[in-house]
Amino acid sequence: MSEIKTIALLGQPNSGKSTLFNNLTGLHQRVGNWPGKTVEQAEGEFVFDGTTYKVIDLPGSYGLSANSEEEVVTRDYIQSGKADLVCILVDASQLERSLYMLADFVGIRMPVMLVLNMMDVAEAAGKKIDAAAIEKRLGVPVLGFSAAETARYPEFFKKMVAAIKTPVCLDSKSLREELLGEKTNGEDVISRIEAALGDFEYGVCEKIWIAEKLLEKDKLVCGIVNEMLPFARKNAIDAILNSEEGRDGGILTGEAKYRWVSKVVRESATPKSIEKVFSKWDRIATHHIKGKLFAFGIMVVSLIACMILAFPGMGIGFGMQPVLQSLVERAGNALGVWPVVISFINLVLVGGTCITICMTSFIFAIIFVFRILEEIGYMARFSYAFDNWLSRLGLQGKAIMPLFSGIGCTAGAVCGTRVLDTRGQRLLALVLLWAIPCGSKVAVVLFLASTFFGSATPLFGIGYVALIFASFYLSSRLFGKKLVPQNERVGMIMELPPYHKPHWKMIAAMVGRSTWGIFKKALKMILMVAALFWALSYAGDGNVENTLLYKIGNAIEPVTMFFGMRWELFISYLGGMFSKEASLGIMSTLFNHTGEAFSLVTRVAASDNLGEVLAKTISKPEALAFLFASMFNVPCVLAMGTTYREVGTIKWLATIMGYYIALSLGLAFIGYHIGLLIF
Amino acid sequence: MKNTDFVDRLSLAEMCENRCGTVAQIEGDSRFISRIVSIGLTPGSDFTLLKNDKRSPVLVFCRDTVIAINHKECSQIFVKVES
Repeated sequence: MSEIKTIALLGQPNSGKSTLFNNLTGLHQRVGNWPGKTVEQAEGEFVFDGTTYKVIDLPGSYGLSANSEEEVVTRDYIQSGKADLVCILVDASQLERSLYMLADFVGIRMPVMLVLNMMDVAEAAGKKIDAAAIEKRLGVPVLGFSAAETARYPEFFKKMVAAIKTPVCLDSKSLREELLGEKTNGEDVISRIEAALGDFEYGVCEKIWIAEKLLEKDKLVCGIVNEMLPFARKNAIDAILNSEEGRDGGILTGEAKYRWVSKVVRESATPKSIEKVFSKWDRIATHHIKGKLFAFGIMVVSLIACMILAFPGMGIGFGMQPVLQSLVERAGNALGVWPVVISFINLVLVGGTCITICMTSFIFAIIFVFRILEEIGYMARFSYAFDNWLSRLGLQGKAIMPLFSGIGCTAGAVCGTRVLDTRGQRLLALVLLWAIPCGSKVAVVLFLASTFFGSATPLFGIGYVALIFASFYLSSRLFGKKLVPQNERVGMIMELPPYHKPHWKMIAAMVGRSTWGIFKKALKMILMVAALFWALSYAGDGNVENTLLYKIGNAIEPVTMFFGMRWELFISYLGGMFSKEASLGIMSTLFNHTGEAFSLVTRVAASDNLGEVLAKTISKPEALAFLFASMFNVPCVLAMGTTYREVGTIKWLATIMGYYIALSLGLAFIGYHIGLLIF
Repeated sequence: MKNTDFVDRLSLAEMCENRCGTVAQIEGDSRFISRIVSIGLTPGSDFTLLKNDKRSPVLVFCRDTVIAINHKECSQIFVKVES
């Protein structure tokens, strides 16, 4: 076995880090969570020249302060010293600003290589950057690169191998000079803190770095120093930090770092013009009316694109089912297989797989379209356009993306709430998100509405949208004040990245990989649930009164009728908590029987399709109750699982679940009783 | 509050569109400072105000980047406007 080297990728958001990661590792990657954190961890491998390289894609952050969980994860990993090389990516088209990350890294004794990414974009904008001059100045390997162009990878590998062979760290001397400023007599804050720190050492961090972070009032570093330093020296440091100079420490270090950066790039880079950056398009996209109209247009186009993209997969899923099922039935009968086995194969294995294919094809379409919007740089404008509206709900513009993607898939959107800055905002966004119907929920609700109310379906559509917005208001009143107190509401501070051309091949590869991962997870979960319901509803003798479901259902019917739902409907409502399709599937099982294994509850011919059966069996008030209950039912088990992972506590998951169960049953109750009066 | 000595202190939120300026001072807790510094605004940075219409976040162009900052946050950033 050859030796393994570890490379950590570090960079600001939009620096092209994930492009590099994906092109390096291809199919050999795993995505999970950092232990004990809700931050995504991506890890992969590639082999070059007989050596295996492990690549860690650190979460994107603007610097190395410990303000968010992402930044803490990034810093912990770097300080652990596990990497053989830290590869820092910066956006060459915004060199000065993105080099701040490098400046923040100075003082950490880890081998570094600097990649000036997106050189093509910088050159197209008329910027000339001399990588060799920057390399000479910094003393560490520097590569001018464009991660999206596969032809340029040999240069990367050459530089990387050399950087690992002869590891070099950044020299902190020049940054220290900037930090000291004009004071050369040791009376400046940095020297005083360093003196107070004395022989204090902390892993790969130099004293100068610790001093900087102390001045920036970094919570983690302050905590460590507090814990490890003797009382007198700790007090000395506190006194310095509380002095006139120390109080504005964050500004002092920030200014020094940018001064250092501008000296690095001076003479090696020319600035670019403002017209190129803020185009006519941007004037429209950020206009307070036109921008929103534009965004709505994009939303509609994206949703249509999603439908078109999902169509082949949906067709395969739905088309396969009857063909496979009749095939299994004929083969089974010919071979004399027990009916129970045929029933299990058809309803659980075949049915479950086909539903999973349909579901995943929609998720695939959503991820694909969102990835493109993100890639071309529109997503940030999208957030910008809605900041004003969302801030009224206690959120900020960045929440629009997860909320909007909720229309596609709640589970996917739940992960998207990570872009928000505070835990309170994240929780509030999750609460609102659960009210947004995913593609499947919309399909189920529309199916039910058209079955029972025919031509009045559009009215239900409009009413549903109005109810969702009303629920936003209710949720933000109920949860907003506590989760995001008025004085803690942090507003938007965000970069609007320049527009890029999407790299189709790379996007397709990335989306394909994540869809495959989701498919595998979803298939497992759906097969389990299908098996459970199959077991509950299977009666060997064909008599439904012998099924477990019938017994449970009959026992709870007196309670569920209070909400206007007979037991079959209530069980379907519960089934909707597993997956939206399951609620229809359970209804077909309970109301419409395809095989002799299920007896007829409703005494309706088994050949009828579900819609007709339902319309004949269920009264309008009951239908209304069930429709309302389905609209605000909790999302599927996949989405609840992801929510639990995000909120981290059972208490919060239970709170949100309880809220939506109460909301949906309450609406069902109202709907039923109004229905009784009308119909 | 310190620095009340100069009365014509202008915050970013009050500045007019399409004007150039320099950041004079940034106020706020260390978390805010660290967020705003790491995205590229420090005292002394030159910028152009691209958009300020009260109904959406302020847009400034600074260090080759377009940055969106919420109005409330902008009132903590004080500027000198080029005449």
